[in-house]
Amino acid sequence: MTTENIVGQPILAAAAFQPSRFGYDSRILRESRLKGGCSQDWLPRNMTRREWIAGAAALAGCTSNRPAPAPQSVSIVRVPAYDQRIYETVRRMLAGHGLDVRGRNVVLKPNLVEFEPGSSINTHPMLVHAAYEAFRALGAASVRIAEGPGHRRNTLDLADSAGYFKTVPGFENIFTDLNVDDVSRVHLSRQVSRLGKLYLPNTVLGADLLVSMPKMKTHHWVGATLSMKNLFGTVPSGVYGWPKNVLHWAGIDQCIVDLHQAYPRQFALVDGIIGMEGNGPIQGTPKTAGVLVAGRDPAAVDATCCRIMRIDPAKVVYLRIAADKGAQIAEAGIRQTGESIAGVATPFALIPYFRSYRIENS
Amino acid sequence: MAIEFLLKKQNPDGGWPYLRGGSWTEPTVYAVLALLPQGETAQLKRGIDWILRTRNADGGWASRPGVGESSWVTALAALIPAERLGLPVHAKAIDWLMSARGEDTTDLYSLRQWLLGRSGSADRNNPGWPWTQGAAAWVGPTAMAVVALDTECRLRPSARLAQRAESGRNFLLAHMCKEGGWNHGATEAWGYDAPPYPETTGMALLAMRGTQSPRIEPALSLGRKFLAESHSADAQNWLRLGLRAQGQLPAGYLPPDGVAYRTVSEVALDRLAAAGGLA
Repeated sequence: MTTENIVGQPILAAAAFQPSRFGYDSRILRESRLKGGCSQDWLPRNMTRREWIAGAAALAGCTSNRPAPAPQSVSIVRVPAYDQRIYETVRRMLAGHGLDVRGRNVVLKPNLVEFEPGSSINTHPMLVHAAYEAFRALGAASVRIAEGPGHRRNTLDLADSAGYFKTVPGFENIFTDLNVDDVSRVHLSRQVSRLGKLYLPNTVLGADLLVSMPKMKTHHWVGATLSMKNLFGTVPSGVYGWPKNVLHWAGIDQCIVDLHQAYPRQFALVDGIIGMEGNGPIQGTPKTAGVLVAGRDPAAVDATCCRIMRIDPAKVVYLRIAADKGAQIAEAGIRQTGESIAGVATPFALIPYFRSYRIENS
Repeated sequence: MAIEFLLKKQNPDGGWPYLRGGSWTEPTVYAVLALLPQGETAQLKRGIDWILRTRNADGGWASRPGVGESSWVTALAALIPAERLGLPVHAKAIDWLMSARGEDTTDLYSLRQWLLGRSGSADRNNPGWPWTQGAAAWVGPTAMAVVALDTECRLRPSARLAQRAESGRNFLLAHMCKEGGWNHGATEAWGYDAPPYPETTGMALLAMRGTQSPRIEPALSLGRKFLAESHSADAQNWLRLGLRAQGQLPAGYLPPDGVAYRTVSEVALDRLAAAGGLA
């Protein structure tokens, strides 16, 4: 993707948000979560008649005959701990997905959030290093690690605190702080959020393969944060600030979907060895799931992770929007390899607000 | 050493990157402020020329040229002495700051909330400043805007500016975390308290210079604790600036060994913190 290369108009301001300083007006958010359905019905800010018409058309489309999403393959592998075995495990997982990255530029995007060494907030550095080594072994021309934390400005200190300098040799030379990278403006052909102008980092836009490597966590605004939500870290705070509040004003779920479509060449590798439950993504508690989950389609991977966490992916708003736009989140449409979901599923505690997201009978 | 680093990092266009790549407004302003005490140099002039060249028609600055609209970095540019920017340029920067506020405190937003039967923002009477236009106000940009307005008021007293700066300080007080100190602006979410951060606490303390209120005592106490514990350059820089502004920085204080100053902003702010302040 290059700058100014995808021209289009937003077709649907699917939801309006009443952002508070930390995201949303909880009352409005609660109403939306409870309503469900294929769209929300509260009045968007600055919605034009054209948007209303487009919105109505899109709502009608929710019940129309849309081509079935293509089946996707997602692998689940049991990994009991962060130890040396993880290197071989990741190599085998990538090989299993038949990724051909010979001569390609690969960018690994972990989730770095907070200075709490030993906590389950950040993607474990050993997993990122294992992926780095595996992609190098697969013949990638370059592999970079890149992240743009939304809360803390001192990204390299954060990475140091999270163990990346210690675990990844020469880390500083292969790392890009996406918050302050050079940027290009991107136009999305099917934008769903109300984000005015979207600038994204050139390091990520120039990647032949973007590998989203989130921690498997619950999230106090969207229910679960996985490989799609992890892409918020590609939005440059140098442009949008700390935190990236414009994403909340433009619709957090919708922005997740927009970012997902901004990067057409993705792979997802989720760190679910020790995840986070409860009041994630920062103040929750560690939750051992003992798995890595991977696949070429982030939406399918995230839907699988939700099922492992005993969260109904159809109730996660951004997954539902993505599904409305053609992503595959239905269990029947995902070919699971490795472990079965039932064999590794473990309920992640949810804050009261999201308890209705729980898969029944779990 | 710090000056050499800054000179080496200057881009051919006269601006500075954060670390590498194209020039951004924030590190360029910090580098210019750090170079000012060195006297007139070609590098300083090129830096100021870059700032003047990248100004938007509305009197503000974007985070970097051609990217978005005028934003919070206008407050930083306004910290450059008016005689260096030019009085009209500086005055327009101040005007831009005076017109900026969090979207949730605008009249239009309030009207919309009222029409929808919802309550308005608690910050309506004491609006802060956002990172970017069209979003809510936050601690960082509010602190920098207050510092810019205070600096201007000290040189050219104005009741209007003083009042706006005071509303910004009230915003900061209203958004202090329960244990003292500041997160980015939220004090809680879903009933969970938001933790204060060292760097935002330092920024807010800098903006609260001269404020006599028992309410900031917990923040001062926390700021001193953060200073003793933090090994991040960003945290050390802002805490030194904030605590010094409050007369609470221990005499002769030096950051602990092992603090890594990696970016242009970190190096320039360290220089400014050692020299006594931003402006």
